Amino acid sequence: MTKQSGKQPDQGASKAKSSTGDTTPDAVETGTSGTGIGRRQFMAGTAATVTAATVLPNIRMAKAQSSGPVKIGHIEDLSGNLAVYGVQKYHAAQLAVKEINEGKTLKGGPVGSGGLGAMGQFAAKPPVMGNGDKDLKFVDDGGALSGSGMAFIQDQDVLVDSGESGLLGREVELLAPDGQSNNNIWQQLTRRLIQEDEVDCLVAGFTSAEREAIRPIVDQHKQLYIYTNQYEGGVADSNTFCTGAICEQQVIPVVDYMIQKFGPRVYTIAADYNFGQLTAAWTKAFAPLVGGEIIEEEFVPLSVSDFTTSIARIQAAKPDWVFTLLVGTNQSNYYPQAAAAGLEYPMASTVNMAQGYEHRRFKAPSLNRMYNCVNYIEEVPTARNRAFVKRWYEMFPDDPYIGQMAQNTYFSVHLYAKAARLAGTTEQEAVKKALESGLSIEAPEGAVFLEPSTHHCSHYIRLATADAQHNVSFVREWPSIQPWWLQRVGVNLVRNKEYKQYIPDEDPFFSMFSKS
Amino acid sequence: MDVLPLVSSLLYQFGSGAAFFFLAAVGLVIILGMMNIINLAHGELMMVGAYTATISNHAGIPFPVCVILGFFVAAAFGAVLELLIVRRFYGRELGALVVTWGISLVLGQGTLLFFGPFMPSIKIPGGSFSYGDFSFSAYWLILILVSLLLIFVLWWIYNRTTYGLQAKATMQNAEMAKSLGVPTNRIYTLTFSFGAGLAGLSGALLAPTVTIAPFMGQQFVAPAFITVVVGGATNVIAGAVGSSALLVAIKTPIGMALGSFSGTVALLLAALIIIRIMPNGISAPLQRFFDRRARGGVL
Repeated sequence: MTKQSGKQPDQGASKAKSSTGDTTPDAVETGTSGTGIGRRQFMAGTAATVTAATVLPNIRMAKAQSSGPVKIGHIEDLSGNLAVYGVQKYHAAQLAVKEINEGKTLKGGPVGSGGLGAMGQFAAKPPVMGNGDKDLKFVDDGGALSGSGMAFIQDQDVLVDSGESGLLGREVELLAPDGQSNNNIWQQLTRRLIQEDEVDCLVAGFTSAEREAIRPIVDQHKQLYIYTNQYEGGVADSNTFCTGAICEQQVIPVVDYMIQKFGPRVYTIAADYNFGQLTAAWTKAFAPLVGGEIIEEEFVPLSVSDFTTSIARIQAAKPDWVFTLLVGTNQSNYYPQAAAAGLEYPMASTVNMAQGYEHRRFKAPSLNRMYNCVNYIEEVPTARNRAFVKRWYEMFPDDPYIGQMAQNTYFSVHLYAKAARLAGTTEQEAVKKALESGLSIEAPEGAVFLEPSTHHCSHYIRLATADAQHNVSFVREWPSIQPWWLQRVGVNLVRNKEYKQYIPDEDPFFSMFSKS
Repeated sequence: MDVLPLVSSLLYQFGSGAAFFFLAAVGLVIILGMMNIINLAHGELMMVGAYTATISNHAGIPFPVCVILGFFVAAAFGAVLELLIVRRFYGRELGALVVTWGISLVLGQGTLLFFGPFMPSIKIPGGSFSYGDFSFSAYWLILILVSLLLIFVLWWIYNRTTYGLQAKATMQNAEMAKSLGVPTNRIYTLTFSFGAGLAGLSGALLAPTVTIAPFMGQQFVAPAFITVVVGGATNVIAGAVGSSALLVAIKTPIGMALGSFSGTVALLLAALIIIRIMPNGISAPLQRFFDRRARGGVL
């Protein structure tokens, strides 16, 4: 069961091990991934791992000069409970790699640190109201679109020529084995991609459990790693770059809006692992700031698929709205079951709709009055996104949806290529430095800025909502929200190397305003 | 909060929970309970029924017909599996376990390749109504009634028909049954196919309430095995009914008071304790009770 090499559904993307003939010891594989091995054998394996860890960087330095393809390792779940998300991300990586090999890149470049002014462009001409420039937008200080305020304009044509085919004169190759929604397999695949395939960049991870399962291996080998999912925030890791949106970018705006619009009493129902627990902690900490109150929190194991009891508990608690942080195929059963039971509370989320496209999978009105602050959703109406969606469906005409984390994977692969070009090499330490230079990239969502000191991204956040017919509309927009929390707790990865995940308990701010 | 709506909500939760466990287990009751094949492809057989119902429903066929289609497609599937593969593994429990696990992987991955990672669901038939603070889904009430009907049909088939008699004889002693002229090979195929069909039927019935995805079957496997094992093999139908009712009777009030996580923990603990004190499942004492009543002339 621990050997998975025979079961990869990806066609040709995952290449057989390159016969490098270097010192990557087989003992490492047996020593660290086998389950039924004896103690002596285990000790030998561990010793080999330690040796390998010290020897490998030198080997990689030497190999970086070679002229083979640039290897991007990509692990996602192409089967199992999480396949509904993983297949999208895999296709996103394929699209980005294809574009890089065809000599395309996304606009953007090193602009130094800063906010909107550094990333977007101020309007080139004075605002014209009425039938004027339709692409011109105004946001007031609350973020709502309005008739006056700061005006800005976005480039709509963002896919441009890179000036070369491939990356640094080499072809880019995607190695994408299947994680099978199984954390043990994720660890084995990560070791294989780093030690045997020696990938130049690893792009991987849907759930926080998967990320935390492989991050120690990443750090052991100082592997450049990009995590592209939205998540609970807090990862401060010198080798890891987190390009998805985090709680301060999603939870605070949506909670603020929901409390204003529907009322202060919140019922949280969340997946029972680090993502659900920590996002619920954020909600609990911030609801009091905007006059709200969490009346009940319920954490549901990922295997649960019958929500009758949870639905009755919500009805007994009588909240003003429900915060749903449900993950995976099993838990998305909540929506049709709640709709069938006549549960009609407004809902908010940071994951649902934007990731699992529940509004497309379930019959209306299961997702009626669902609100989510997303950094991307297929329905984003800008011309640059329509062009991206068109390119996607030309390559994958049978795909059902392009979710938030698929877009993140797409621009992250382009971002990696940009950084490698800036560094002039695929040598990983140099590329990490380049990624820390203050890069921005014009993603389909809008401008994204990779904040150097925390390795997190600012995002264009839109508050999306579904109506009774599951039509998506956008009620508010924030052109740039910074990932500020890690700065608050004092993280500066450019100065100090760190390899941990901060949790809300470590910030006294989180208990300051909550009553309990 | 009024007491009466709360009590009716608890009763509704109990009924729908028990119906969920019973429906998840009903195909496995035949295949594991009677034939003693540890069928790890049970969830995928339910998936076949759910996909059949969903595809035919999207093609415009009324839902009840889709459910019946789900039964026959899964039954045909089961018959083919039995003839080609499963019949080579009778009496080799571990072999059957591995081969059905392989079948489940092939079916799940094959569905992903052919149909993609998900399929739009069926709208849940029937509306909802509310009483006090609580509201109830009409479809789950229908599922409770259908489960009761299924229990009766199963009892009738295995106690009142020639096939039922021959099947029980074959499972108890195949050699003896054969020498008495029972076509045991055909009975095996028929029984496996019937079990697969029941799995498909319940998959189709539950399809509107769940996500239609290639690996959707896995969510039913644990409840199904727990129900059948706690129920025991002495009287598989009474065992499955008794265990699903008992387990949900423990899960519902604890889940309502402390949250669904505690409810699930309580259910698993209860299953553990029951199997510890009643290794043959709750159907063994149930059957003894029935037998005693029958001897006493009460029944």
